[in-house]
Amino acid sequence: MSDLAGTAAVAPEMDGLIGALLHSCGEHLLETMFFTPIFDVADASAAIGSPRVVSRLHFHGKPSGDFEVDADPGIARSLTAGFLGIDESEVTPAHEDEVMAEFCNMSCGSALSSLGWVEYFSLEAPATSRTHEFAPAVEGVRRAFLLAGGTLAVCLRVVFEESQSAE
Amino acid sequence: MAIRILIVDDSPAMRAFIRRVVKLSGIDVEQYFEAGDGEEALAQLRANPIDAVLTDINMPVMNGEEFVRAMRAEGPFQSTPVIVISTDATSNRIHAMQALGAVGYLQKPFGPEQLRNELDRVLGVVHE
Repeated sequence: MSDLAGTAAVAPEMDGLIGALLHSCGEHLLETMFFTPIFDVADASAAIGSPRVVSRLHFHGKPSGDFEVDADPGIARSLTAGFLGIDESEVTPAHEDEVMAEFCNMSCGSALSSLGWVEYFSLEAPATSRTHEFAPAVEGVRRAFLLAGGTLAVCLRVVFEESQSAE
Repeated sequence: MAIRILIVDDSPAMRAFIRRVVKLSGIDVEQYFEAGDGEEALAQLRANPIDAVLTDINMPVMNGEEFVRAMRAEGPFQSTPVIVISTDATSNRIHAMQALGAVGYLQKPFGPEQLRNELDRVLGVVHE
């Protein structure tokens, strides 16, 4: 168990574990509920400056933190169609907003539930937006995945308050 | 036996997904009812005969914990099976929902097989 004094982001040695969990949880979520396989790991910084659909949330608890998902617009559309079981031509921006928010919510919750040292958490409602020049708003552990037709990335920032600790 | 299911989630997209997964699972459903929060869910329960409830936790107006507590406090619904569907699978959360009266717990992400197994289990369905 490593005590983390004060308010601090997760210890660097935890980055590898969190990164692996983001990958496994993201892969399971994409395959199970979005019927989409991950083809490969992508360059986590390649999307910066590109058009993206972004959904992010803050979570409270022990620990607290932030989570962000960003995707190529085409990926957001195809994921939405897969989740709702409709044709891509039927997908509206409102559908995309809601489904990307759901992806953000489920991906974050799944990762936090898999971290054994997370005691409890409460997710705030995610907000989805579109940008022509993406810049990550969450500074944390970021992993990007190559899907059919583009990339999707997730980023988790975990913050420990004073007296909280991680095993 | 065809069953009547109440799906409680503040996200219309998630309610649509759950309906779709129930259909894919092969469960024989007579009728779906939906609610966007716990208060709407209680109103649906009072107005309709429902065999099983699938509920989220994080919802506005009345969340899943408040809903299950209120449901169990009303005589007619004390034995209606409740399955929680949530991203939160921490032991603290699962134990809290079980203590309130939930008999099933399904962590997102989930697919048709997991949903069918959990519904069969809480409804006491045995396949030969």
